Amino acid sequence: MKVTLEVRPRRKPHLPIEAEKIVPRTFFEETDGLSVFRGNKELALEEIFSVAIEGEAASVDGVEITILGDSSRIKRVGEYMDGGRIHVMGDIGMHCGNFMSAGEIVIDGNADAWLGREMRGGTIRCHGSAGDFCAAGYRGEKRGMRGGTVEVFGDAGDFTAETLAGGTVIVHGNAGDLAGVDMKDGVLTIMGDTSMACANMSGGRAYVHGTVYDMIPTFRNIGRETVGGDVFTRFAGDIANRGKGTLFIRNYKYMD
Amino acid sequence: MTELLIRNACVIDPINDICGEIMDIAVRDGKIVESVGSGAEVIDAGGSLTMPGGIDAHTHVCGTKVNFGRYMSPEDMRAGRTARRGHMHATSGYSVPTTYGTSYRYSAMGYTTALEGAMAPLEARHTHEEFAYTPLQDMMANTLFDGNWPVMQAIHDGDIKRVAAIVGWTLSAVKGFAIKLTNPGGTEAWGWGKDVSSIRDVVPHFEVTPAEIIRAMIEANEMLNLPHSVHLHCNCLGKPGNYETTLETFDLVPNTNDKRQSLYATHVQFHAYGGSSWRDICSRSEEICRAINQKPQIVMDMGQVMFGKTTTMTADGPMEFNLYRLYHNKWSNHDVELETGSGIIPVYYNRKNLVNSIMWAIGLELALLTDNPWQCILATDNPNGAPFVKYPEIIALLMSKRYRNGVFQTVHPDTEHNVPLAALDRELTWKEIAIMTRAAPAKALGIVDIGKGHLGEGADADIAIYPLNINEIDPAKAPEEVIRAFGQTDYTIKRGRVVCCRGTCMVDGENTTIWVNPRISENHSMDHDPEFARNFDKNYTIRMRNYPVQEEYLQRNLCIETEARL
Amino acid sequence: MKKCDVICPFCGCLCDDLEITVEDNRILGVDNGCTLANAKFMGKERLTSPIRRTDGGWEDINYDEAIRYTVDMLLDADRPLLYGWSGTHGEAQCIGVHMCELVGGIIDSTTSVCHGPSILAIQEVGHPGCTLGQVKNRADVVIYWGCNPLEAHPRHMSRYTTYADGYFLDNAFRDRTVVVVDVRETETARVADEFVRIKQGGDYAVLSALRAIVRGKGDMIPPSVAGVPRSQLERIVRMCKDAKFGAVFFGLGLTMTKGKYKNIRNAIELVDELSRHTKFTITPMRGHWNVYGSNEVFTWMTGYPYAIDFCRGIAFYNPGETSAIDILARKECDACMIIGSDPGAHFPRKCVEHLADIPTVVIDPVPTMTTAMANVQIPVAVSGIDAEGTAYRMDGVPFRVKKVIEPTLPSDTEVLGDMFARMKEAKGL
Repeated sequence: MKVTLEVRPRRKPHLPIEAEKIVPRTFFEETDGLSVFRGNKELALEEIFSVAIEGEAASVDGVEITILGDSSRIKRVGEYMDGGRIHVMGDIGMHCGNFMSAGEIVIDGNADAWLGREMRGGTIRCHGSAGDFCAAGYRGEKRGMRGGTVEVFGDAGDFTAETLAGGTVIVHGNAGDLAGVDMKDGVLTIMGDTSMACANMSGGRAYVHGTVYDMIPTFRNIGRETVGGDVFTRFAGDIANRGKGTLFIRNYKYMD
Repeated sequence: MTELLIRNACVIDPINDICGEIMDIAVRDGKIVESVGSGAEVIDAGGSLTMPGGIDAHTHVCGTKVNFGRYMSPEDMRAGRTARRGHMHATSGYSVPTTYGTSYRYSAMGYTTALEGAMAPLEARHTHEEFAYTPLQDMMANTLFDGNWPVMQAIHDGDIKRVAAIVGWTLSAVKGFAIKLTNPGGTEAWGWGKDVSSIRDVVPHFEVTPAEIIRAMIEANEMLNLPHSVHLHCNCLGKPGNYETTLETFDLVPNTNDKRQSLYATHVQFHAYGGSSWRDICSRSEEICRAINQKPQIVMDMGQVMFGKTTTMTADGPMEFNLYRLYHNKWSNHDVELETGSGIIPVYYNRKNLVNSIMWAIGLELALLTDNPWQCILATDNPNGAPFVKYPEIIALLMSKRYRNGVFQTVHPDTEHNVPLAALDRELTWKEIAIMTRAAPAKALGIVDIGKGHLGEGADADIAIYPLNINEIDPAKAPEEVIRAFGQTDYTIKRGRVVCCRGTCMVDGENTTIWVNPRISENHSMDHDPEFARNFDKNYTIRMRNYPVQEEYLQRNLCIETEARL
Repeated sequence: MKKCDVICPFCGCLCDDLEITVEDNRILGVDNGCTLANAKFMGKERLTSPIRRTDGGWEDINYDEAIRYTVDMLLDADRPLLYGWSGTHGEAQCIGVHMCELVGGIIDSTTSVCHGPSILAIQEVGHPGCTLGQVKNRADVVIYWGCNPLEAHPRHMSRYTTYADGYFLDNAFRDRTVVVVDVRETETARVADEFVRIKQGGDYAVLSALRAIVRGKGDMIPPSVAGVPRSQLERIVRMCKDAKFGAVFFGLGLTMTKGKYKNIRNAIELVDELSRHTKFTITPMRGHWNVYGSNEVFTWMTGYPYAIDFCRGIAFYNPGETSAIDILARKECDACMIIGSDPGAHFPRKCVEHLADIPTVVIDPVPTMTTAMANVQIPVAVSGIDAEGTAYRMDGVPFRVKKVIEPTLPSDTEVLGDMFARMKEAKGL
């Protein structure tokens, strides 16, 4: 089943549209009567998108949703996704792929904040940049993302992979402040630079191929180690937090 | 004049000695009456179980500490959210719901009255503000005196009259209902990061012991003629081996009041542990219940633990810090100057955990081993042992040995070596459940005379009609029916109005705050005591004149005036 | 006539010992208050009637028209924002929540531009705190981190810490050690026993280092952390561990700098760590008068302390998304009611521009910077001067503020109550 959703122009283009119904399972089960919300107003899906559906699907994995047009303010696409595929041709709004457990989301443009929040499984690939709290958790919750893969080909914002508790996060560009802060498990890889990496981490592994600025002073330097042909400095920490995490860094700079 | 007639009710009303009689209940202007006219609104109960509205004699639902439990727990808030609907406001939260959430859920279960277990006098206005937004239950506030400086000073001086005068002034100033002692002496020690480890330890600087505080407060309570007794959270909560402290405490209690107990011991499950560490902790419910069975002057509540997620919150600051060191989860603490403390941490009671399994068993044992159900009230110390929405399951566990055995199979396998539960065959009756959930709380709190906990003429028309026919359902065999029925009434009636029908609340509601005002002669009143006033303004960060809770915080209210004998 | 024990309606200290001289329903003088209190009570010119923007000017309208305008605006909007609340009393905040729930909007207080990060941190690790009297009577070590009480909370040190008498201290001033941590030497730093100067953005690192030293892992700390020599950090830790009662107060210098709410989390975890050795507490220096009350009210009514989105009926909370500043910067609301706050003076330009673009109503006694963005302004009585109600001090202690003069204008509660009644009517409730 191929579902094509093209965002129509809106009178108030900045008001976010909450569209948690845009997830393969919805279309697999029922394609009529779907609605989205603009603030407090419930609207038929067709009011916001022109909708085209072709073919049938034998399972949720047979559903592919393509989103065209300006979807930068469409929130919660792919929330609780448990199979199938979503392809966003442009930018996508906040909370894309929240709680996702299976399937694949591909974003050609940028993703707004909370991409893959509390994700459990599946794959998100963002070819542009991701906002703050990429692959992070929820307020007050001890564990954030627990499984699956988030791969960002551009940069990621502050608090990337905050409270990471499982799964894999890869940022090909730079990450903002405090990437991997409070992480507990899982693997975080940043190909570029970041700052204050993995502060207060208590478990898991992180690799920074660029430079960590404002390096947290409470990581113990274990020595040099070669990983995949590159030479890293290996740290254990965060000692401030009895941490048992491991941090591999190519270059680092303390604020001394 | 509004009239209501409930027909064909199968009534259990232990205070009036009615047990399963099919009868009509007549209501006029919010009170039970002998009969009503033909124009009365009629509800046909169709033989369903009908009881006085439930009364929670110890729950944490309103005030600074409870609200901090919400404030620090957005993850708990998102676990139970509903939108505004009809007369119902939006609600959030599972273990610490918003005030509306608390009120609606209690109402759906047939509860019409609740006692907030702990109010710091300094922050009483906050509790009363939240009472106003808990519209479907009449509310009372236990007032904390466990670390009250002027009280401890008067005890040290051996001046019981002054103790009573200070307590009376404070209760009336903050519109409190009863004396609450939480880890007496321990909360003041916690002001220095310390605790007391027995009732004979001396509180730093004030040189009184918990035993002296407890004894003096029991005496002062009777001098003030308060409806309720001293409400005590014993020292050493949650510590292996603490049952000895509990028994020693029980031995302090004289039998001084012929209408009710002289001491209410709360959440005794947390105080009934044997052993010397978490490795050898075991149940001492038998010793505790033996003492209770011999001492009619003590009433307790279970403090039942149920498995799952909840939030613990108590004025017992040092105890919460110990829990924090055990769980390493988030920890909040809030000490209140000259008065008390408090702490909060979220917990998960896991049935695979031996200690948690033992705790679960002990609560049930207390109820099953107490001969007289009037001495053991059903409560979880909400939300400490479990959120109150678990009450129906607890009722089923007490009424069905088979159900109990079934759950017992799922707990930690070593539990049976540490608790006597498996050997207890008792199954509580409908009447005993009615006693433990409404009649006994009303009697223990001393609010029978103001029309609570029974359906006799003149009583408040607070009535719960459960979708259950006790002549058709055998609770021992059909626990799921019991859970379903106690989970949601057909009708919850408050002050003669249907406030909740099958889970939907029908009115905005307006509750009553019940408080006490002991009349104290001018020469004993703190209002005319220059030393008290001087120390007040010197030591508190609030002026004495700004301290009392103003009338504005009591919309509808019922003041129980007492004559103090000073 | 002198009115005694009056509660100050300015900052989060809620000093309750002011004396106000009133003659002929006019305030003539303020005793015991700080300069900020004096300014608040002596006040500037107030509006006497609601006003509505016209082409190029303003016209007076009556309350009925102003309230009708606001009700229609809120009912018509898809995503209305109800912002402010810190300058008003709890009873008005309660009505605000009911209004927001009914129209399906977003309600937020000034928290999101002051101690919002502190709340986010508390939601992760909790908050070991106490009332201010505990500090006054017991504390022998007081740490002010990223705050300057002498300017922002002028009586904090004299009422609750440095200069206050303490029951357990013989000579409070001499027996208390005051430490100030800041990026620059503030006025408060100059009166401290120890000043720790941190490089901008280095708070997190310094807090981590302190935690490690408390845990006995000081050997691994570099010789200097964010401009602070290790020897000074070790001295501070010794001082803290030797304290009988330590109290940390922190301000926007910690919440609004690099690291944001994780700074506060780190500070709290430092206090947790110290609590294993001695008594330690931490308290945010709440600025705007009843901002803490807004958090309390919102919490018991909605479950969340600020930034609550009711657009979908249930309460949704996600600061950074549902907080006023983010919503305005991203133009994610289409109407705004502002009460008890002046975002025109404090918000980034982008936010203020959006306010000018959408229908905006301001409920405020005096013309403010926000007035310039408003379509309608409704003047009201001032809480604590000519209106009464509940306010919460920075440590959670609730007070009832009084009227010292008789009002000539309706209170926030009256105006909002009227709006809410009309909304219910419009919705057929």
